[in-house]
Amino acid sequence: MRKGKLLVAPAISWLIFFFGVPMLIVIAVSFAARTPYGQVIFNFTFANYQRFLEPLYIRIFVDTVFTALVTTLITFCMGYPLAYSISKLPHKWQQPGLILVMIPFWINFLIRSYAWVVILRSQGLINTLLLKLGWITQPLPLLYNDYAVMLGMVYALLPFMVLPIYVSIEQLDHRLLEAASDLGAKPFTAFRKVTFPLTLPGVAAGSILVFISSLGMFVVPDVMGGAKSALIGNLIQNQFLSARDWPFGSSLSIVLAVLALVLIVLYYKAIQKQEGGTNNEEKLA
Amino acid sequence: MKKRIRLALVGLFTIALLVMGCGSNTAKQSVTNEKGEKQVLNLFSWADNFSPEVLAAFEKKYNCKINYDVFANNEELLAKIQAGGAQYDLIQPSDYMVSTMVKLNLLEKLDKTKIPNMKNIVKPLQAPSYDPTGDYSVIYTWGMTGIVYNKKYITETPTSWADLWNPEYKGRVILLNDSREVFGMALKKNGFSNNSTNKDQLDKAFADLKTLAPSILAYDTDTIKQKFIAEEAWIGTMWSGDASFTYKDNKNIGFVIPKEGTLIWADTFAIPKGAKNKELAEKFINFMYEPKISAQNYEYIGYNDPNEKAREFHSKEFLSDPMLKVAVNDVKQGEWLKDIGDGLTLYDRYWTELKTIK
Repeated sequence: MRKGKLLVAPAISWLIFFFGVPMLIVIAVSFAARTPYGQVIFNFTFANYQRFLEPLYIRIFVDTVFTALVTTLITFCMGYPLAYSISKLPHKWQQPGLILVMIPFWINFLIRSYAWVVILRSQGLINTLLLKLGWITQPLPLLYNDYAVMLGMVYALLPFMVLPIYVSIEQLDHRLLEAASDLGAKPFTAFRKVTFPLTLPGVAAGSILVFISSLGMFVVPDVMGGAKSALIGNLIQNQFLSARDWPFGSSLSIVLAVLALVLIVLYYKAIQKQEGGTNNEEKLA
Repeated sequence: MKKRIRLALVGLFTIALLVMGCGSNTAKQSVTNEKGEKQVLNLFSWADNFSPEVLAAFEKKYNCKINYDVFANNEELLAKIQAGGAQYDLIQPSDYMVSTMVKLNLLEKLDKTKIPNMKNIVKPLQAPSYDPTGDYSVIYTWGMTGIVYNKKYITETPTSWADLWNPEYKGRVILLNDSREVFGMALKKNGFSNNSTNKDQLDKAFADLKTLAPSILAYDTDTIKQKFIAEEAWIGTMWSGDASFTYKDNKNIGFVIPKEGTLIWADTFAIPKGAKNKELAEKFINFMYEPKISAQNYEYIGYNDPNEKAREFHSKEFLSDPMLKVAVNDVKQGEWLKDIGDGLTLYDRYWTELKTIK
């Protein structure tokens, strides 16, 4: 018993120091006030959360959630086929396929964003090419708008969708598909009735990763959106830097964290339910 | 099977943390100096703010090592210094931040006897309004915000801030990504002070900016030069030093100080409270104003040299740079930004609102 406690001690203290304490500080600051020069004073107040309920900030929050939803949807539409086709590659090509998905991660994200700027700007690769070909006479405004922001987000987060889906497709029991085919299901029906439902946990995991990550994005709107749109990530960044309002910034971060937590809890509930469901089916069999 | 998915998820979360947690640079731990070891000057400044050769010359002369860390804006600097400034010996706050830091008691008084070269600085910049006694800061780089424009697309020389509102420039206008700069500009356009915290005046400025919003290509401070060099933008607000830099790569660039007046700014040298190596920091400041060194340094960074004694060491090219000249000639048009304390909340609100306009 005692030995057991000793063994978990490092894990527990790791969690306390690197997760618990910083989180508690953020929570404490979110209920604090501040001086005009940005020093935090610990007078307990709900003012920061009340301020969040003002229409201006609610609107930014709704915009952010909407952007994150669209990002999730697009990464799903692109990520599922990609993951599926990688899993159907000959075995020796699967690993390289996955590595290609991961490679961009080895380069700093900020640099990759600026690479997009070089590609999309008015004297950039695409516009220069189209002008040379004579297909356009004026450079297209490809950058510094909401579409560019969306492109940047999808680009940044696609791997988070592909990898979990790939894992779930990879682990699918192939005998089930054989059984489906034996029972007369055409490939598409088999996909619809067998493959897709059984890979839903991967889809859910990918969606949650993408959704939560895009909620906090602030680099893409700044670099590719020309800092014109305010997403909640930019708002938080602003509160901590130029507005010198750490308490308000903290309360915004807490709101985001709570939303993320709720989603993760829902995900685990759904997974457990599905696991329960599979068990029942096994019992019936 | 589910277990493995979870395992993969844990791995992914780790990657996510690594990739998304792209925080800004953290300070290097100051190296402890035991006797006989090299002294270390921990310098916290803006990126590319010194000639590397000048830094190397200082390291050689005083047999020391410079740790050069960078921040992106004053608020980041303030946040880091408030969180424990003693890890730095020398910092470079801008004008208004100097007065904030003095009020917050975050700066050491400079020992002027150790910095005799301070006398070389031109008189009007020796005791500016943000540090009227000149006890806490020494001016390093300074400049003014003006209108930058590309002569290829804009044939009529702009004279007023109102020229940014010209509908022909729609989608080609860039403003600095900074609430005080943008609202300061709009306040000046209406003939108000750029330190105003008067609600009616700010309302007027905001109403104007709302009509400008559809014309904006981007708000940008860090990469604004590239946007003008690549001719993505035609007209916008820019600091004189950046304009000089841009002009070197694109000769179509012009720069004017609008008739309504504008913002004048300076970055300074200051020493944070509790600095471990105050003496070396003062030696560094003094070194930077040695006429020859100063000339070499400002030629490299391309900002106006406030050092009077350095003029004879500067190249003709530097002294006749059209952008830098504009700032020297119009210095009286400038108004220093003051710390507006609580007024900043008002600016921030308008700023956020401005960014939500589609």
